[in-house]
Parts: sequence; structure tokens; C-alpha cells
Amino acid sequence: MKTIKFEIVTPEKTVFKKDINQITIPTKDGEITVLPNHIPLISVLVPGEIIIKKDGESFSIAVSGGFVEVSIDKVVILADTAERAEEIDEKRAEEAKKRAEKIKTEKTVDSREFASLSAKIKKELARIKVARKRKRI
Amino acid sequence: MSANTRDILRRIKSVNNTKKITKAMEMVAASKMRRAINMVLATRPYANLSWKTVLNLSQTEDGKTHPLLAKKEEEKTILLILISSNRGLCGGYNVQVVNKAIDSIKKYNGGEKTTEIMTMGGKGASLISRNGYKIVADFVKPDLASGIFEVSDLAKMAMKGFLENKYDKIMVAYTDFVSSLKQIPRVKQLLPIDLETEDEYLGIVGKNGRVGSTKKFIKEKEEKYLKRKGYSYKYIFEPNPREVLNQMLPRLIETQLYQALLEANASEHSARMLSMRNASDAAKEMIDDLTLYYNKARQAGVTSEIAEISSGAMMAKN
Repeated sequence: MKTIKFEIVTPEKTVFKKDINQITIPTKDGEITVLPNHIPLISVLVPGEIIIKKDGESFSIAVSGGFVEVSIDKVVILADTAERAEEIDEKRAEEAKKRAEKIKTEKTVDSREFASLSAKIKKELARIKVARKRKRI
Repeated sequence: MSANTRDILRRIKSVNNTKKITKAMEMVAASKMRRAINMVLATRPYANLSWKTVLNLSQTEDGKTHPLLAKKEEEKTILLILISSNRGLCGGYNVQVVNKAIDSIKKYNGGEKTTEIMTMGGKGASLISRNGYKIVADFVKPDLASGIFEVSDLAKMAMKGFLENKYDKIMVAYTDFVSSLKQIPRVKQLLPIDLETEDEYLGIVGKNGRVGSTKKFIKEKEEKYLKRKGYSYKYIFEPNPREVLNQMLPRLIETQLYQALLEANASEHSARMLSMRNASDAAKEMIDDLTLYYNKARQAGVTSEIAEISSGAMMAKN
């Protein structure tokens, strides 16, 4: 099976770096799936789940935002945060989401704070989704 | 006890106190250094990959797609961002980076004092203003950076200046961390994003990134990843170039500045630790020397006292 080089890095660390068969990425215009020999593409990442397929196995990574650069033979994701499914504590993610929602509804916040809270809720939702999925498998 | 030995004792005591201080500073610097090094190593892959993306973009796109990718025809006014330390006692750290910055200003516009400087770190600010350069803004440098927001104000101000055509070129002077024993001051061009600068050093930072520090490497990346069967591809942008680049370029430039700050911090703490270690060693040597003098002086005192007593006894006998 054809493979494509894949690398996902955050300002903190390199999260994942391997040759893979296929990858599904949440972007601003909706999910895209990249296979080997994709044409060069740059897009904006939104909070969500990245699904990687390699030799029949699939992995999930929760991301909160960033950029994706596809060039021939290589996919680079520059994420703000990224976590492998096994690193996420679902309970804590759930709590974090609730906290953020509570602040959003209770307090009157300015637009900047509102945006950052909304982003946080989206991020936690993505984390919960990835963590739950792993449980099912 | 004679006055001489008392003086020596006093000196030993004062050197000892100094040694305690330098030793403590060394340990503080060492722990800060460890944290700073961990941070700088962790962010390097992100900074390097993102800078490569930006450089590739600058090859295929131009100012029409996004104003930050514009290439200026003339490079008259320069903005230099200088990252140095807040405190001294770190060897030649500050002087070296300031000299490097002044050299590169001279190289680009003949040393005219019209170049504007933004500083991060008080020592560099006072050094460069003593050389007659104009500082337009001074930002607080955190001892250990805790996030990219530490540089966002600086980045915003610099990018605004570039977009308003106030500056034709933006450079950042910082100290690149090679190892805890070696740090190299560097000047890197942030804007305009240009592969064709005479500077071979294109600003991919860090030891791990050495392979990527030349023009050749960027070209190779282009050959490898953007060309197939003689046809060279352009990036497509989703949803559209402007929206993607609007989000991406400021963020990536900010990342570069943040990386420079982290490199500078790691270098500063390493430099301070090393110079404090040297100071502690020198103090120890000095104490050893002084102790030897003291013992010799004491011995001489004892000998002369015995001589006096015995001669006194002889006198009494006679």
C-alpha cells in the first residue's frame, strides 16, 4: 500500500511522526481526507478529531486548531495542541468543558473572552469525542 | 596576632561571602537553564517546520495574495528587534549580541542611525542606546517564557509597521543556543520573507535544524515535495488564500519571535551559569592562596615571638 509521510507538531512537542496510508483532517471547510499523491494544499485546522490509518489500524488525535500543509508525499500539521486518544482523561475533559460553559452562561464576558471560551469548549468537545471513541474500540 | 594576619583573615572572609553569592547564583541559573533548554528543544520542530512552510510560500506566492508576503523594492528603513537579558553577570552575552546587531545594521544601511530598534531585555537596550540608536519600544522580557502571548504585542507592533510601510525590513537579533557551553549571537531576517537574501543563514534555528539552515535545503524541499515530472505545483488554499494566510502568517511570524526568545533565554541562563561557575572557581582559588599567605604570616609571627621570648630569657639569665 502506498504511504505518505506524516508529522504533527505542537509548540510543546512532536506528537506523531510516521509513514501512514491515509489521514482525515477537520478543516474550516469540513473534513478532508488525504491520500498519497495529494496535490499541495494549505488549510486552517478547526478543533476536532484527526483520524490516521496505517496498515489497517486507525488512530485518533484530538486537535484544537492550527494549520495543515500537504505537499506531495508529505503532510505536516502545525497544531496549537494535539493529544493522542490514550493521553486524554475523559472525566477531566468533561469537567473542563462544563467549567467553560458555566463561565460562558453565568458571567457577562467581553467578546474576546467569549471567543476564547467558545474555542475552549470546542476543544474539550473534540477531546471528549476522541477519548470516548477509544473506549468503544 | 599582628595587623597583617588580621587583614588577611578579613579578606578571606569577604571572598568567602562573595563565593557564597556566586555559588547560589550559579545554582539558580542552572535550574533556570534546565527549564529553558527543555522548552527551547521542545518548540524547535514546530518553529522550523512552520518557517519552512513560510519560506516555501514566499517562493510561490507574492504580495498580491497577502501583504505580508510582499517584497519591497528598496530597503531603507530597518526595524531591529533586539533580545538580550535583564540583568548582567552573564559574561559577554549582552555585548556580543549587541555588537552583532550593530554590525548587521551597518552592513545593510551603512550604519545610519535611522534604524529603529525594539528591545526586549534592559541590558541590550541601554547598550544600544549608548551607541546612538533610537529605541522606539521596550518590551518586558520574561526570565522564563511561559507562552507565545509573551511576544504577541511585539509581533503585532512590528507587523503593523511593516504593513504600513513604516519599515522595509524587520530583523531580529538574538543568541542562538547551541549547547550549554556555546551560544552564537545571530541576526535573522523576519520580514520581508525572502529566500534571495545574501545571508546564507535563513533563520532555521537550533542545532537540530542545522541541515535546514541553507538556501540549498529549501530548494531541495521544493524539488522533493512540490515538483513532479517536471511540473511544479502551487499550494491550493482552502477556503481561500487570503483567509488562510491572514491566520497563518502572523501566527508563524509570532512563532519565530517566540522561538528567538526561547533561544535567547536558554543562552542567557547557560552563559550566566558558566560565568558564575568561573567566578566561584576563582574565589576558591583566591581563598586557597590567601589561606597559604595567612598560614605563612602566622608562622612568621610565631617564630618571631619565640625568638623574642628566648632572647628575653637569655638576657634574664645573664
